Amino acid sequence: MNAIELRAVTKAYDGRTAVADITLSIERGERVALAGPSGCGKTTLLRLVAGLEVPDSGTIRINGTLVAEHGRNLVEPEQRHIGMVFQDLALWPHMTVHGHLDFVLRYDKRSQPADRPSRIREILEMVRLSDRGRAKPGELSGGEQQRVALARALIAKPTIVLMDEPLSSLDPELSLHLRGEILRLHAELSFALVYVTHSREEAADLGSRVIHML
Amino acid sequence: MQRRLTLLLAVLALAVVGLLPLVAMVVTSVFVSGKLTLAIYTKLLSNPLQYWIALGHSLTLATLSAVCATPLGVALGLLFGKTDLPFRRTLTVLLGIPLLLPPYVLAICWFNLLASGGLLAQGAPVQLAGLLSHALYGLPGCWWVMVSALAPAVMILTLVSLHAIDPRLEEAGRLVARWPVVLYRITLPLVLPGILFGGLLVFLLTLGEVGVPVFLRYPVYAVETLTQFSAFYDFGAATAAAMPLLLVTLLMLTLERRFLRAKVYNLRPSTPGRRMLRVPLGRWRIPAFLSVSLLGAVMVVLPIAALVVASLSPFAYWEAWRQAASSLGRSLVLAATGATLLMLLGFFCGYLIRTRTMRLWRALDTLTLLLFTLPGTVIGMGLIALWNRPGTAFVYASAAMVILAYLAQYIALTSRITVATLFNVPQSLEEAAQIAGAPWLARIRHIVVPVGLPGLVGGWLIGFIFCMRDLGASMLVYPPGQETLSVRILTLMANGTPSLISALCVMLVAVALSALGLLGLFFRTAAPRR
Repeated sequence: MNAIELRAVTKAYDGRTAVADITLSIERGERVALAGPSGCGKTTLLRLVAGLEVPDSGTIRINGTLVAEHGRNLVEPEQRHIGMVFQDLALWPHMTVHGHLDFVLRYDKRSQPADRPSRIREILEMVRLSDRGRAKPGELSGGEQQRVALARALIAKPTIVLMDEPLSSLDPELSLHLRGEILRLHAELSFALVYVTHSREEAADLGSRVIHML
Repeated sequence: MQRRLTLLLAVLALAVVGLLPLVAMVVTSVFVSGKLTLAIYTKLLSNPLQYWIALGHSLTLATLSAVCATPLGVALGLLFGKTDLPFRRTLTVLLGIPLLLPPYVLAICWFNLLASGGLLAQGAPVQLAGLLSHALYGLPGCWWVMVSALAPAVMILTLVSLHAIDPRLEEAGRLVARWPVVLYRITLPLVLPGILFGGLLVFLLTLGEVGVPVFLRYPVYAVETLTQFSAFYDFGAATAAAMPLLLVTLLMLTLERRFLRAKVYNLRPSTPGRRMLRVPLGRWRIPAFLSVSLLGAVMVVLPIAALVVASLSPFAYWEAWRQAASSLGRSLVLAATGATLLMLLGFFCGYLIRTRTMRLWRALDTLTLLLFTLPGTVIGMGLIALWNRPGTAFVYASAAMVILAYLAQYIALTSRITVATLFNVPQSLEEAAQIAGAPWLARIRHIVVPVGLPGLVGGWLIGFIFCMRDLGASMLVYPPGQETLSVRILTLMANGTPSLISALCVMLVAVALSALGLLGLFFRTAAPRR
């Protein structure tokens, strides 16, 4: 069974087509990099999978379940159990690192309240932020913020993680380091990764399959 | 589902609070004894002179006020928002104070300063004092009070528009031209829709003003409709007479929608957090500071000082407390309740407008603006037409009518503040919580509200201030014996001593300034957290 399956998916905004008739399958545990120039629809595709946009036509399946078809979402984003790292990271400025992770677990129906502290400790260790649990996003460096966003996306153990150019604003050295971190976490947790980037180098590094969108 | 249901409930609530009263008013004016007739309108038009003269007065006053308040407000907005003028924040607050007060309180301030026996008359040459005292009444006095009351609205709208400009647009201009050229060719055209909207707002708010023309004896249309209601108790005639005000407001808003909205540019900074560029005033810095300070002294400090001086007579405050303590307490409770409900309903309306979750977001936005610009007396009459029925007498005879009036009149403020606040809360924050599995109300409670808290608290305080200063609608709908402070002051004007009236006004000013102080304090403490 594929983790993600798109069939003839089309999406337009105000009459302008962002994604045209895309058919794509991504296997469980696979790493797919979506590369291409700005405006080619990479982010739209990611948001369609997440459920943040509704396809005008076509169908989307997540782990075999039909989640969207022809102009309507059958499963809302909050019920798709997907992890996502946003381009601007979307860290909640009023919450601590711990608060971010606790928030996700609180709404994850599979997680037990008693397991939350240990799960948070575990993921913080995994992203090497064990000593930063009480910090708020404004008190963290760029790299640390990136890792909080990663931890938030991964803590509920999703089978699919979507990343929308999360490293685009970082300097090359830090970007390279975090690419290594992402690969390490993928190897540990084996989720299906869809990574959007406009950098060919990043795409080649992170994708076991690279899809160029035009 | 949760989101759609909540937003739908908010839309329905707004329809009940704001739209149904207008419909009820129109229906009341065309049904007499259960029959559809235009008799009331025919009667109204058969006695045209009185109404046409009053309508002419209204349009003259509104046009003159808009024509003068707009350039003044824009100049102040540019000075405070775009230059390195010293103490610009303090001066912004100082010159913004008149907007927090009911315009008729400003009229009383100027009365205490300019009228015969006023502060100026005691010190100025007799001829000058006589001239100023004469000019206080009628069109000149009303015009000046409305300009000083509403120029701050244009100033604030200009400031808000300036803050929305991406500094890079001006930097690109600065590479090829001097600041005056950049201001004239780039900055001003970008903020022009905001400025013109400010002018329109001044026009419409002046058109509906009742307190100032009553006090300064200038027969305008809004007063005529009120007279039909309160003096002759001819409700049908009053609602029919109110119809031209509704039509003028609708016409102006249609023009705004047709011509201004199309010109609103997307100015949001591409690099968030970049500071606005400021024009160095150079050798004009001190003269500009002195000129603006002088304006602040003349427009704000002097009239309020005259009010305070006039209130300083033996027992004035004791008498004011004795006569109006219950009104003050009632006003505080009603304004706090009104502001809370305004913020709640305004939040959901603003959320709907910002996220365009439903197709009717544009209609909702227009309705809130229409209600804000409608004269309070029209809203009051609409509420009476809707609720003054045997089945709803329990609402009509209660203070809930005042709250309904606040909600109808000021929902535009809190919904637009919410829209502005949500513009600064990246949509991805809520989306991240949605991906995490949080249902909509949890996302609102845990993410959107905490992140947008400073803006929402600011919205509450602004709602509170406007409810406290409300006069037009509340004077028509307050239940017997339960006047608000604004209404109490107006009713005491007929037979109260000037010192008593002044003391009551000082109390009202003190509440408005305290709310303003709280607003400043809140933003000062909230700023470092963000």
